[in-house]
Amino acid sequence: MKPADGSGLNTRKSNRLGSIRTRLALLYSILLFGLAAIVVGGIYLSLSRALSDEPVSRDARYSDMIVDAEPTSADPAGGRLATFEQEVNRRALDQLRTYSVTAVAALFLGSLAVGWYVAGLVLRPIGRISSVAREISATDLSRRIELGGPDDELRDMADTFDDMLGRLDVAFEGQRRFVQEASHELRNPLAVLRANLDVVMADPDADTDDFRAAGEVAGRAAARMSALVDDLLLYAHHERTDSRREPIDASTVVVETVEDFGAAASADGVVLQHEVADELLVVGDPVALRRALANLLSNAIRVSDPGGRVRVTAGQDSEMVWMSVLDDGPGLSPEDQERVFQRFWRGDRASAREAGRSGLGLAIVRQIAEAHGGQVTLRSTVGVGSTFTVWLPRFVDS
Amino acid sequence: MRILLVDDEADLVDAIARGLRRNGYAVDTALDGDEALAKATWTPYDLICLDITMPGLDGFEVCRSLRQNPPEGVAPRILMLTARDTVEERIRGLDVGADDYLVKPFAFDELAARVRSLLRRDPGRTGAVLEVGTLRLDTATHGVTRADRNMDLTAKEFALLRYFMSRPGEVVSQEDLLDHVWDEHADPFTNTVRVTVGTLRRKLSVEGETSLIETIVGSGYRLIDSGAGP
Repeated sequence: MKPADGSGLNTRKSNRLGSIRTRLALLYSILLFGLAAIVVGGIYLSLSRALSDEPVSRDARYSDMIVDAEPTSADPAGGRLATFEQEVNRRALDQLRTYSVTAVAALFLGSLAVGWYVAGLVLRPIGRISSVAREISATDLSRRIELGGPDDELRDMADTFDDMLGRLDVAFEGQRRFVQEASHELRNPLAVLRANLDVVMADPDADTDDFRAAGEVAGRAAARMSALVDDLLLYAHHERTDSRREPIDASTVVVETVEDFGAAASADGVVLQHEVADELLVVGDPVALRRALANLLSNAIRVSDPGGRVRVTAGQDSEMVWMSVLDDGPGLSPEDQERVFQRFWRGDRASAREAGRSGLGLAIVRQIAEAHGGQVTLRSTVGVGSTFTVWLPRFVDS
Repeated sequence: MRILLVDDEADLVDAIARGLRRNGYAVDTALDGDEALAKATWTPYDLICLDITMPGLDGFEVCRSLRQNPPEGVAPRILMLTARDTVEERIRGLDVGADDYLVKPFAFDELAARVRSLLRRDPGRTGAVLEVGTLRLDTATHGVTRADRNMDLTAKEFALLRYFMSRPGEVVSQEDLLDHVWDEHADPFTNTVRVTVGTLRRKLSVEGETSLIETIVGSGYRLIDSGAGP
């Protein structure tokens, strides 16, 4: 007996011997069978004992019992009666035994059927869950189980599963978009490289200057691609959350990074100043934090005009440690401020390409800040300059 | 055949423009969508190679705008050149009015073949070879023959002859030639058209042969179908 609306999958599973449904049905009916057998056996035994212990004929008066019997002699009549009574008892017990065995057998079959049906009913949602799970592939995570029905354990399980699918979907979608954006970014320099080489190689009149020009273009394209690949690897690396974490003094990171940029700043004629408080304890990866600050610093120096000023400050309040990079460059419009942390966003595509910038710098900064449980904020006014600030949770040694 | 090449990668534009010019096309370039739209509005391009991702107007918008407000004359063919390769992007590109779609990076030869194929889609044009009388021009190999005699033509002369051969018997004005065979760098007040037509005319005929390009005073030039006459 199957539930009338059992799905095809459910049926397939249930037909397998040793499936949970079979086992549940068997367990249920064996338990029921055992209990019924004990009860029926108990009734039978106690009845048979009661009948043999207290024969009715012992207390009953002979004349009360058999009115129409023909009295020949007292003794033989009493013996016959006892025999008769024994016969009746035996027959009644036989009858009872037959009925009991039949009833218990019928109960076994009935309980098997009921057990099969009930187990099927209970397990049907599981069949649905596994059929949906089977249909879900890594490329299409948009399916959900959406079990519905009463708010029970299976519903809870299905909802948990749906939540997990939702998170996976978001993660995969993000990954897919990233791969697509990254390949798009890599295709452009590849196209430049290929078109230049194709055209110059196919030109029988090309002279040394033509080849030199094509070589220069190829060199630029290659530099762009390698900068991009470096940043892509860095980005992918920081996307993992298991990188090194230890209590460090952020003030050391800031001071050392600023020192690293001293030469670059003076080469561009930019004044680099810093004002850093002592003992800025955070839990984090010093290499990653240094990278974040370096990205902010190189941006600030790049947008500053010669004679401009870049100020790096760091300090803390009761909860957070902050590191700030302030420039007096051109600033960013409100629309650009929203997009500036997006991957591959560049304010000035053409010149960014010339300089071999990947457009990942600020995305990496944000990623590092968020991986440390912090964030990065931006305040900017067009014509005045921009301030990027990285906020990190302060480490308190208890 | 005049082509507008639009991409924000100057290095790419330079290389492709050079390659296409060598194939005898007049090539103009634009580095963003706004410039492209402005040029396409004033010049009747035969083909526009259009990048999608650009600052300002992107390729989809340029394409849509050109299809909604087509410039005068024949609407240009549009070939999308882009690094975006998803099926949805291709469909979107074709749906906003592009005639073909080529994903970067591509082999230059493939681009050239697609350009030929798109420019062939004019009425009466079927293959890569154009024939008018005994004159024969192969747009793919650039071979030109008159009665099995090979011609040695420059890219510009080749382009000029191809334009004439796609309009045999029609009177072609100097303005038409400037629009379709010369690019934006040509000075309309010089006699470059007259000079090039003259050279081509001389190259097409050896001594004793009839001249194939006729000058119609006041209106332009015409290619004579040499097979039709005695």
